[in-house]
Amino acid sequence: MPGFPKLPNEELASLIHFFDSSSMHAATDTSASNTSAPATGGPLFQQNCAFCHGRDAAGGESGPDLTRSKLVAEDVAGNKIGDVVRNGRLEKKMPAFKFSDSEMASVVAFIHDQTKKATSRPGGRRGVDVSDLQSGNVAAGKQYFQGPGGCASCHSPTGDLAGVASRYEGLQLEERMLYPKDVKSHVTVTLPSGETVLGTVAYLDEFTIGLTDQTGRYRSWPVGAVKYAVQSPVDAHVALFDKYTDDDIHNLMAYLQTLR
Amino acid sequence: MRLLRNAWIFAAMAIVGAAVISHSAAAQDLSAADLLNPPASSWPGYHGDYSGRRHSKLTQITPRNVKNLGLAWAFQTNQNAPIKSSPLVVDGVMYFTVPDNVWAVDARSGHMIWHYTYPPNNGLHIGHRGVSMYKGSLFFTTPDAHLVSLDAKNGKVRWNVVIADSNKGYWTTLAPLIVSNHVLVGVSGDFDNLRGYIRSIDPETGKTQWDWYSTPPEGTPNSTTGGMTWMTGTYDPALNLVFWGTGNPTPVLTGSTRPGDNLYTCSIVALNPDTGKLVWAFQPSPHDTHDWDAVETPVLVDASFKGHPRKMLMQTSRNGYFFVLDRTTGESLLTTPFGPVNWALGIDKQGQPIPNPAKEPARDGRLIAPDEGGMTNFRSPSFDPSTGLFIVNAHPSYSIYFAKPEDGTYGWAGADYSLWGKGVLEAIDYQNGKIRWSHELGSGGSGAGVLTTDSGITFSGDAYGNVLALDTSNGKTLWHTGTGAPMLTSPITYELDGRQYVVIGTGGVLFAWALPQPTE
Repeated sequence: MPGFPKLPNEELASLIHFFDSSSMHAATDTSASNTSAPATGGPLFQQNCAFCHGRDAAGGESGPDLTRSKLVAEDVAGNKIGDVVRNGRLEKKMPAFKFSDSEMASVVAFIHDQTKKATSRPGGRRGVDVSDLQSGNVAAGKQYFQGPGGCASCHSPTGDLAGVASRYEGLQLEERMLYPKDVKSHVTVTLPSGETVLGTVAYLDEFTIGLTDQTGRYRSWPVGAVKYAVQSPVDAHVALFDKYTDDDIHNLMAYLQTLR
Repeated sequence: MRLLRNAWIFAAMAIVGAAVISHSAAAQDLSAADLLNPPASSWPGYHGDYSGRRHSKLTQITPRNVKNLGLAWAFQTNQNAPIKSSPLVVDGVMYFTVPDNVWAVDARSGHMIWHYTYPPNNGLHIGHRGVSMYKGSLFFTTPDAHLVSLDAKNGKVRWNVVIADSNKGYWTTLAPLIVSNHVLVGVSGDFDNLRGYIRSIDPETGKTQWDWYSTPPEGTPNSTTGGMTWMTGTYDPALNLVFWGTGNPTPVLTGSTRPGDNLYTCSIVALNPDTGKLVWAFQPSPHDTHDWDAVETPVLVDASFKGHPRKMLMQTSRNGYFFVLDRTTGESLLTTPFGPVNWALGIDKQGQPIPNPAKEPARDGRLIAPDEGGMTNFRSPSFDPSTGLFIVNAHPSYSIYFAKPEDGTYGWAGADYSLWGKGVLEAIDYQNGKIRWSHELGSGGSGAGVLTTDSGITFSGDAYGNVLALDTSNGKTLWHTGTGAPMLTSPITYELDGRQYVVIGTGGVLFAWALPQPTE
């Protein structure tokens, strides 16, 4: 049976818009909030953000729980969230969204509203608390660090990791421990003249090598035109993935949490 | 009458096998025969033909001349949403989509013929896979889970029916599968504890012909919900079976309320398209707790397996395993991982992985390979008949999964975080699962699908926005070009006026590549 027989597009559009906006309003109106901005932002959030971040902003497929996000907590009227939404986080596969100023304000208001709701009902939340990550054994973690994990060949509890547990905690510390995503790789490029150029890798695919040299300048070459060697210490973290047991990870986490 | 005619065609197909039925010359009239044997000038269904092999017999573009490939045309959607659809080409017209939008463009020049916009709605706008076509009509699913039929000539709405209740949490993204006079649609919606189903709809009237449910009604004690059906299936006319993958169970990351295997979630099912009756099922992920939908293309291959001719079904599944089945019965022929997996205790007698209870999400976290996006996902693989290679864009990856009683038992019910991943194009020997060659696609992974051609070329894309043409025999790069945005589409190809086009979407732009014309 045809749902909307013989209706011109415009009429159909306004009809469906009417039905949907009224039903959506009812759905978001169950909150105690009297602000209209979160109610307007709700549908926009549902359409554009909910798949990754969850319908209640508390995490969905691949996207983090925004109600416990540090950036959201520090945001005032969109001064932080707005940048992320407008520019995306392409390295984390988050696309950029072109919202108007009023749309952005309503989405930001919705996220803050959800954060408030989530904070007011502890216990019913998804996500990871610091207290969840206390199942490991410190001594076993220290032994893994110095022994089979091979961590001590690059890191030192009194050097680069001194105070690491004061800088990071909980899930953030664990994610950095398992794979620190922001670590740069270094590269040495040897030009046909024999000249070598050192820098951090700025771009690398199978056709182009790009680096940022010590002066901050970007330079690139076709990979076939030069020789290059990438030093990527972070690869040692990847090599551990198929060696760890879950206990190793929990123990290592217990040990790192003592480095305050 | 139409039913009778189609029945006759299928009977004839079964008898004459691969015989070519002549293509009807009537413009914009895609017949069931065209869908069974797509003319080289067309790409009439999501996968091209019914087999899901995404392989073309076209040979104008070869490993020798592909270095001369250039831009024939580009089409700018001017939309935020990246193109994730696989275009159709019928009678010189290309049809493709992003959520709420359908375009008809000239497949020779890229000029727009019409643009249809669906009214604003609150459904999830995560992506759209494309339209399907039967006779002179297109079939388009919407974020708020409607099926809209459009007149292919002008984009005018013929009818609009509800597939599922979007207020409950359903949405739709898939390109329907047309089989005879059935428009087969599936649904998405795993943020809520809802049943998945496949619906058969009459292409003329929009009336429901049958429903097949993958899971029991909501509220059934000790039972699962979920099993969403969000990717286009494949079809074997000789067996008259449709093959469809189903998604994860719900609640997603905890199995506490749904003991057992949770049939038919994370399954490959064979259905009779005329009745919707289940003929057999195979479950790549029994009792899934990692969101690993088994909806990846069920690829149909007729070839020898260990010396015996077999009608096979192959799937590289999101959970990291490559499965080869006999598609007549669902019997397992081969199960083998195609990248790092650490969540199974072994393989059971039916060829199904045995989930390790110690790798279910937990309060203090479990390290899991692959990650939630999976070893592969909706991007299409391709099967190349001459080399026997199953080529897939794989995603070796690791993640941590958490769940605790406070997370509840509704919807997501836990949290997971991807740690690391990369993209690798892998050419799998279907006889033994060995990887004959692999081609690195870059950090983070790539969303590009794969197309192979009879001339020995594999088209795909890397993680950085390069479109690639590789030598199918060894995976070496023959041609590439940067397009400015990562590719999230699966390539198609067709030949018009003696010129072969390869079409690939990246970002909001559709690119058609071809060899230079002599006059240029």
